[in-house]
Amino acid sequence: MRIGAIVMKRKQWEPFAFASPSVFLIGLVIVFPLAYSFYLSFQNFDLSVGSEYNYVGGKNYVEALFKDERFLGSIWNTAMIIAPSLAVELLLGLGIALLLSRASRGRPVITALLAIPAMVSPVMAAMAWRMMFGIKFGAINNLGRQLGILDVYFDWFGSPLLAIMTVVLVDVWHNTPFMMLVLLAGIQSIPQELYDAAKADGATPWRSFWSITLPLLQFTMVVGVMIRLIDLTKLFGLIFILTYGGPGSSTETVAFNTYLVGFKDFRMSYAAALSYVIVGGVLVLTLVFLWIQRIRETRTAA
Amino acid sequence: MAIAIERPRIAARRVKRYRVHRALGHVLTYLGLFAALVFFLGPFFWIVTTSLKGNEDFFAFPPVWIPAEPSLAHYVALFTRSSGARYFTNSLVISSLSMVAALVVSLPTAYSIARWRFGGGFLSTLLLVLRMLPAIALIIPIYIMYKMLGLTNSYLGLVIIYTVLYIPFAVWLLVGFLRDFPVEIEEAAMIDGCSRLRALVQVVVPIIAPGMAVVALFAFIATWNEFLFAIVLTGIETKTMMVLVTSFTTGGTDMFYGEASASVVLGVLPAFAVAFMLQRYLVKGLALGGTKG
Amino acid sequence: MKRFALLASIAVVVVGLAVLATFAPRPAGAARPYEGETIRAVVNAEYVKYSLSLVEKDVYDKLGIKIETEVIPADAFVAKTLLEFNSGSSPWDLVMFGPSNMPDYGRHFEPLEPWIAKLKLDFGVDDIVPVFAKVMLRYQGKLVSMPYDGDIHIMYWNKVAFERADNKKKFKAKYAYDLQPPKTWKQWDDAAEFFHGWGWDGSDRKLFGAGASYKPSGSGYSYHWWRSRFFSYGGQYFDKDMKPLINTAAAVRALDEMVRTMPYYPPGVLLFESEEPKTLLVKGDIPLLYTWTSAGKRVGNPAESVIVGKAGFGLVPGAEIDGKVVHRPAITPGRGMAVSKYSKKKEATMKVLEFISLPDQSLKIVMDAKTIMDPWRVSHLRSPIFRKAFPDADKYLDAIEASFPYLVPDPVIPAADEYQRKLSFEITEALAKRKSAKDALDIAAKEWDKITERRGLEKQRAAWGEKLAEMKSLGIEYHPDWAAKAK
Repeated sequence: MRIGAIVMKRKQWEPFAFASPSVFLIGLVIVFPLAYSFYLSFQNFDLSVGSEYNYVGGKNYVEALFKDERFLGSIWNTAMIIAPSLAVELLLGLGIALLLSRASRGRPVITALLAIPAMVSPVMAAMAWRMMFGIKFGAINNLGRQLGILDVYFDWFGSPLLAIMTVVLVDVWHNTPFMMLVLLAGIQSIPQELYDAAKADGATPWRSFWSITLPLLQFTMVVGVMIRLIDLTKLFGLIFILTYGGPGSSTETVAFNTYLVGFKDFRMSYAAALSYVIVGGVLVLTLVFLWIQRIRETRTAA
Repeated sequence: MAIAIERPRIAARRVKRYRVHRALGHVLTYLGLFAALVFFLGPFFWIVTTSLKGNEDFFAFPPVWIPAEPSLAHYVALFTRSSGARYFTNSLVISSLSMVAALVVSLPTAYSIARWRFGGGFLSTLLLVLRMLPAIALIIPIYIMYKMLGLTNSYLGLVIIYTVLYIPFAVWLLVGFLRDFPVEIEEAAMIDGCSRLRALVQVVVPIIAPGMAVVALFAFIATWNEFLFAIVLTGIETKTMMVLVTSFTTGGTDMFYGEASASVVLGVLPAFAVAFMLQRYLVKGLALGGTKG
Repeated sequence: MKRFALLASIAVVVVGLAVLATFAPRPAGAARPYEGETIRAVVNAEYVKYSLSLVEKDVYDKLGIKIETEVIPADAFVAKTLLEFNSGSSPWDLVMFGPSNMPDYGRHFEPLEPWIAKLKLDFGVDDIVPVFAKVMLRYQGKLVSMPYDGDIHIMYWNKVAFERADNKKKFKAKYAYDLQPPKTWKQWDDAAEFFHGWGWDGSDRKLFGAGASYKPSGSGYSYHWWRSRFFSYGGQYFDKDMKPLINTAAAVRALDEMVRTMPYYPPGVLLFESEEPKTLLVKGDIPLLYTWTSAGKRVGNPAESVIVGKAGFGLVPGAEIDGKVVHRPAITPGRGMAVSKYSKKKEATMKVLEFISLPDQSLKIVMDAKTIMDPWRVSHLRSPIFRKAFPDADKYLDAIEASFPYLVPDPVIPAADEYQRKLSFEITEALAKRKSAKDALDIAAKEWDKITERRGLEKQRAAWGEKLAEMKSLGIEYHPDWAAKAK
């Protein structure tokens, strides 16, 4: 033990040396580009015009936050997609997790099968659902007509609201499994003795769900919701394939709007400014997330 | 006397009712799970059967749920005419390289954090922030930089960015595995004259290898699934499966419906494999791995 | 002496062999002069790649050149290719592009004329349909590209719908004129309303009034459907000072009509790309559609079409102005093929471009129903094989030719793609009822001003001036009074 300590002292550079490859790469590929992009966001770099650019101050930010209705609209759209997605994913995920926790046979296999959608790329999820929703030859409409409950031509993207709900449906399919897994882990970590004690006191399963499961699952739920919330702000691939932001701009998300500005209009500086607005939002959410985790740590410590 | 006879009867009835309840509960539980399975696996079923259908079956009504004569014609067309083989190989190569690189870079860092608490709270917060960072913020400067350095449309460029995107996740998971590892074994090796690096490679790695495999598989699938960097940075030599799928969407999928569905089937294959291999680690992996665009 | 004789005879033999080798016909080499070369092509859809695969084998047998084709989806195509070109390089030799974007692409293309002289190439320029020759070939006066896909809009109708006696009777009772394939927008909208929601083919199916592609992606679909109405109501893109005219009375009227008739279009139309409505047409679900000419080949393909021989082909409707119908069908981006200025295999690529543009080779491409490539040579339209390829193919080809005098091009000035995209987007906003037609077009006009400002007003005005004169020579002018009097 002593020898170990001496070795450690003599080689104080070791911790840094070990960590340096990652730190170096992160600095090179993430921190430096971000700084460069921050610098760009105060210029008027526009590749469609040319490769020269000038300093324009905060003009891009002013445009983004006060004048660009399409971008502001995309913030609203993103929120409109996030809110119902989170609610449904949480409830459905909780429901399935509870069912799974009661399943005595075949649980690992069923869990793994249910988890597959979460492992699939958003692009693939969107492509699969595009084929499911298809007018005339999509699976859902055809099944619906076969059962006599749906018009074979039901338009899943017929109005802005419906299009948002359809995107939500696909996201629910895609990410509920994640919520389910998180909550299942949470449920399984609740000691069985608590339930046994409650049962001995004559509590119904319903009651023990409300007074044991839910309170103890509270933090797990918050963590799951926060992770999904932050990931949903990045919604891009799904939109790219499923709706391309349409009809009109009803499903255009912030990430998708920024992509269009950068790689369709070539307004690199403005796109950089937009992405910094998004980063700002995500940063706030991340801080909230950290704060919640800290509370959890102090509570569990107490 | 009568009461004494009555009581067991009530008890028996209670037990019976309890059993009925339990059986009913079981039935309902499995019914619910079955419904969930239908919802979550239904699209896969449709895509797989579609990819095996003949052209005339796509628009048939009543729909053809299971093709009478499944054919691999669309897969053949995808692999030959649509360069599917090439893009599938690209996806495999890029994902594998990124996976290995992410492990090699992350392991010493994780070790540094686990053994010396390197960076303290700052580094772990930084890693969390990186995990949450939207990729759209990186793509513009990365594109401009890569363009200047000639790194677009190269394996190297893609592997670098994917490796770095994966560091936070890999470090995180590896730190957990390393903390569980008894320090004594390592120190014993070092007393025998091993350097720390050698101790890490020769003593620690073999023991935490299963954990590293978990990290590797998650890194693999995250890279496989990535779309935003792939569509912006790839060219003909480096295109991945995710980009291939989008080439069927121009003008609507109607003309190459079969090839489109076949490419989706190939694109989701790794997800199936990994979901089964990593059952125990799915929660951690999905919570921490974040290259979803 | 002996030695000298030996050396001399060896020398003679060697020289003789060398001379022989030079002049003797090279049996294998001559057939494939570029054996071993591989060129790179870039296209914007899987079906374009498929179309090249139809001639790949012949290209190899004749020239020894292999073609490697990269597909960049249309939704990312212009962005990716232009970014690559603007940075002064390109990994591609043969480049597909939308000719309306010629002002942005042209300077990256290799002029063809020097190569025509050097390699004795024959592109058969005289055989190109003049309207395509006008918009697809030249950049700043220099020949830089060949057409690959000659895109215009024509109208298709299902004869079953228009010839059933019962339908005729009902229509006459309701609208007080005879049911016939529409000539004007009024008639089109009436027919769409009339046919929507019931089994006009005699079945009990719920069918639709008409079809369209309104997705705001790619190069902006919805805008193509709007502009035929807009121009027949007297519209124009800009005035001579680059002030946008896309929010004038003609524009608002055109869009208002489209919004009002939305209920008669199939569900999903807001996200339809080019092929979905064509599928509905060939499956007998819609009686009316105006779209690209490629739909005709799908109509005639018995493998998927239920209306083979039952379809009519004609001019896109117009507006009746002072007793005369003005038709303004769209000539839409289409596809051109050019050789990248940055290519290192220009000679081989030129040879390939010549080969795939040859009348018989390009005919193979434009005749195939799955390629979605459309005829662009006079010889395509007159080809006896094509004219008998499916029932009524001759009528289909004649309908294309009959549309040529009326075509309206895109605003072919720098940033054409961006102008179109911004406008298309706002049009779909109105179609999705998120904004009124007037509001949407006002915003589009503001967006157009912004684009003009970014690209430089003077530069844009100069470019537009030329186009304005060209359009005037075609008889296309701004008529502010037409919007009110068009019938």
